[in-house]
Amino acid sequence: MKALDLKLVRDLWRMRGQALAIAIVLAAASATFILSMGVHRSLYETREAYYAQNNFGDVFSSMTRAPRSVVDEVAQIEGVQQAQGSILQYAILDFPDRSEAVRALLQSVDERGRDRLDRVTLKAGRMPMPGQPGEVVADEAFALANEVGPGDEFDAIIYGRMQRLRVVGIGLAPNYVNALAPGDIVPDDTRFGVFWMGEEALEAATDRTEAINALSVKLQRGASEADVIRAIDRILAPYGGAGAYTREDHPSHAFLESELDQLEAMVQVIPPIFLIVSTFLVYVVLGRMIRTQRSLIGLLKAFGYSGLAIAWHYLKFALAIALLATALGAAAGIWMGRAMTELYGEYYHFPFLRFHFAPGVFLSAGALAMGSAALGAVSGVWSAARLTPAVAMSPPPPPVYRAGFVERVGEKAGFTAIGHMIVRHIARWPTRSAMTVGGVGLSIALLFATLSFIDSSNYMLSSYFFRSQQQDLSVTFTEARNEDVLFELAQMPGVLRVEPVRALPVEMSHANRVERTALEAIAPDAMLSARIDQDGNLIAMPPGGLMLSRQLASQLGVRPGDNVRVKMLGGRRTEAMLPVGAMVDEFIGARAYASQDTLDTLARDSAPVGAALLLIDPAHRDDILAALKAMPVVLSIGDRDLEMARFQEMIDGNINTMIIFYIAFASAIAVGVVYNGARILFSERAHELATLRVLGYHRREVAVVLIGEIALLVAISVPVGLLMGYALAQFMLHMFGSDLFRLPFAPADATYAKAALVVLAAAMLTAVTVARRVMRLDMVRVLKARE
Amino acid sequence: MFTPQRGSGKLARKAMPPDATASPAQAERTAFTGRDLRKIYVTGETEVHALRGVDFDIRKGEILVLLGPSGSGKSTLLNIVGGLDRATSGSLHYEDTELSALDDADLTRFRRAQIGFIFQFYNLIPSLTAEENVRLVTDIADDPMDPGEALALVGLAERRHHYPAQLSGGEQQRVAVARAIAKQPGVLLCDEPTGALDSQTGVRVLETLEAANRELDTTLLIITHNAGIAAMADRVFHFLDGTIARIETNERRISPAEISW
Repeated sequence: MKALDLKLVRDLWRMRGQALAIAIVLAAASATFILSMGVHRSLYETREAYYAQNNFGDVFSSMTRAPRSVVDEVAQIEGVQQAQGSILQYAILDFPDRSEAVRALLQSVDERGRDRLDRVTLKAGRMPMPGQPGEVVADEAFALANEVGPGDEFDAIIYGRMQRLRVVGIGLAPNYVNALAPGDIVPDDTRFGVFWMGEEALEAATDRTEAINALSVKLQRGASEADVIRAIDRILAPYGGAGAYTREDHPSHAFLESELDQLEAMVQVIPPIFLIVSTFLVYVVLGRMIRTQRSLIGLLKAFGYSGLAIAWHYLKFALAIALLATALGAAAGIWMGRAMTELYGEYYHFPFLRFHFAPGVFLSAGALAMGSAALGAVSGVWSAARLTPAVAMSPPPPPVYRAGFVERVGEKAGFTAIGHMIVRHIARWPTRSAMTVGGVGLSIALLFATLSFIDSSNYMLSSYFFRSQQQDLSVTFTEARNEDVLFELAQMPGVLRVEPVRALPVEMSHANRVERTALEAIAPDAMLSARIDQDGNLIAMPPGGLMLSRQLASQLGVRPGDNVRVKMLGGRRTEAMLPVGAMVDEFIGARAYASQDTLDTLARDSAPVGAALLLIDPAHRDDILAALKAMPVVLSIGDRDLEMARFQEMIDGNINTMIIFYIAFASAIAVGVVYNGARILFSERAHELATLRVLGYHRREVAVVLIGEIALLVAISVPVGLLMGYALAQFMLHMFGSDLFRLPFAPADATYAKAALVVLAAAMLTAVTVARRVMRLDMVRVLKARE
Repeated sequence: MFTPQRGSGKLARKAMPPDATASPAQAERTAFTGRDLRKIYVTGETEVHALRGVDFDIRKGEILVLLGPSGSGKSTLLNIVGGLDRATSGSLHYEDTELSALDDADLTRFRRAQIGFIFQFYNLIPSLTAEENVRLVTDIADDPMDPGEALALVGLAERRHHYPAQLSGGEQQRVAVARAIAKQPGVLLCDEPTGALDSQTGVRVLETLEAANRELDTTLLIITHNAGIAAMADRVFHFLDGTIARIETNERRISPAEISW
């Protein structure tokens, strides 16, 4: 090893504390980068492989009932590679020992294995056989959650008739990576599952001989989706076609896509914060090191080392730290990536999902770490390379202090000499002081933004469940009913109020933007489901107009007063231009509302009842649940309290882990910034601190000089950090929002305090640790050396 | 425990607790008494014997010059006497207090109350003005002079608001002297106070030190390589290899103005 490299190794060892502190912050950048990129890739590639392997369709449509022959007709459309028809039917499973209803979505499969699209991957058992009407394949998640396996049998109410089902296999398919029961907002594998049943058997069970109600289409490469959709809609129009849609609007795919978008957003927001702080730390630490090695640099140059050799020597110091950081970050990233992938495995149903070791991701992480370390090193390295030997070997000019603005304030405030020392030193190094404030501020900002995510989730939860949803139970029907069913429900003892939920699938367009959604009717006397504004007040339904969720309005690019073209996707397929009358803040979904009259006019009929909201007397709860479960028309029963608890559980489960990570990350930044700041401060002021000791100052009085400066900077960084956090949180919420849900910015008061206190504690603990060096200060040795 | 006591007047000296047996009128009061003082520095496997058992008495109000080659033990003695360092063995008293028995906090209190230091390289705080550098000491001393008054004594009243970087070497050293005498210390310890100064400036500094000795009755210990300075002392300790090889007593002290180098 060359002598200069030996020096590098020893410098690194001598400054191991500082080097490690930088490496940890930089490692956090690598870890979060590898984590989100790695998980993103794993999820994306798994999805793509799964889609390809099982031939997931490109365009889908549902209809009331169409002859099977339309499949051939659709297959003839230009651009269509393959078309496949199937039957989809909701059913209720009867598990005698369960009080709540267990629902199933039955999907037909060809008993002779001729399916080409959306194929099932079997994990156990076999597919249903011809002539065996009760055979089904259960989806893996449901099977695991309910301990169901091949050979198990249970009764099911299919199309109003009781039928015995026998599980012959366990499988999963790409169109149900994420399967939500109708009316649910959180997946619940214990109460909802997908079952694949033989085509002939399901035709028989649903009176749909040679008929289908769902279509999946594979496009040729380069085909126009829009053209194909138009052609399909034309063909299916006579059969109650609900409008064809692409993968983008496929519920399972859309959910996954929004998850991928969030991961991508995370890559863009989180690692850069750590990279910025690391760059600053390298700048400060290497800058200081080069200043203290000034005469040594002169000596080396006098020996004949070139400026380039010196520059490379110091640059290697920064790169070595980056290398260490990449290694640490990779280890942490893989570990966290595995944990997160496992978590995804619980929510998304893939036949395989493993954290993916992509060399490209690691190389990118390493390049980013090297890049930001090198960026931080540039100014110091440049100054080292430019020093001429003669100048370098003479002592540096003494620092120039001047009485500035702060000074005049200090004079009035009656600062002690120690107070002046603190304030003037901060003013003497404005860049470094500002960077310390910025660094600690960023750690507060990061923590604030993360914690305010929880507040947002809680706000959404309370807004959705406590204020918008006033019902106790929501009942979804197997298919749209007329109003008779409402009277039937109202008759039940203990039911206090029944309100219908009427919704029609529509396509809304404005200019060149098109969105598919459900248009929900609001009855004039509706009480249970309320649309409220930001202050919690009820928003009145504009007569003759639409009320759009803010999300949908922004997707369509409309404001109140604009007109929107509304096209019914079912029924008579009527079209109308309706004005936007009001907007409502909703965080889940992108929905639209209109008055009952408007909806009836649009449907040219009384809009069908798809679900009902019930207010009940808690004393009759069990009886009502039992009675509902016995009604063949009832597909599912949503229990507000239960859903709320499940939602809360999901938030808590995911978020607690996240909080621990981010508290650790934010603390790492604070510790890294403060530790390096304090070490540099200590090394710069060792001479002065020793002088104070000689003059008769006690150790703790001397430590005040050190801790005082850091405390002052950290104190300034609290408001700065909270301000940055305020902006960062909103930016992150904006980045993380999707078509499916949007998180409101609603930080709790305690969040400000928590973010500041965690970082303050980490910062001050670190400062005190460094200040303990004052205790070991050797006055004689320090004063003998001329600084 | 060491407890400094207040003096009575502006320029009155603070005293250590009076010895019950000592008469205030006693002509020859002792400031420091050292017996068989030894100091061994251990670095790795080597032992450096910086002091090899020295005995001395230093009288209050005397000017003592320590002469000797580098490494002969002068600075070690000065540091031990000033409470910056501790002897490995032997006993050291300041008046009636046994310094060798004091812990770190008490040594700090001792320095705060009794000792003024002056170094070759001034050791001023660059971020503080001349006056504020003096205030560093008056902020914590029991009965200090006004910082302005201390600066006036060294002839720098006009430059009180200047930062060290705006002062010449001689001026900086005079600020250091003002800082040392502002607390009205019992003892002034000077390690090469003129080492970095030209002759004329050096004399000016020495005059200030002598004035402090004369007007405040401050005991003055000066380490120097400059044998000429020895003439202003009452006594001269000649150091060699960690011992006081010879003690020279001057019949007559000459004034700094008569010294040149």
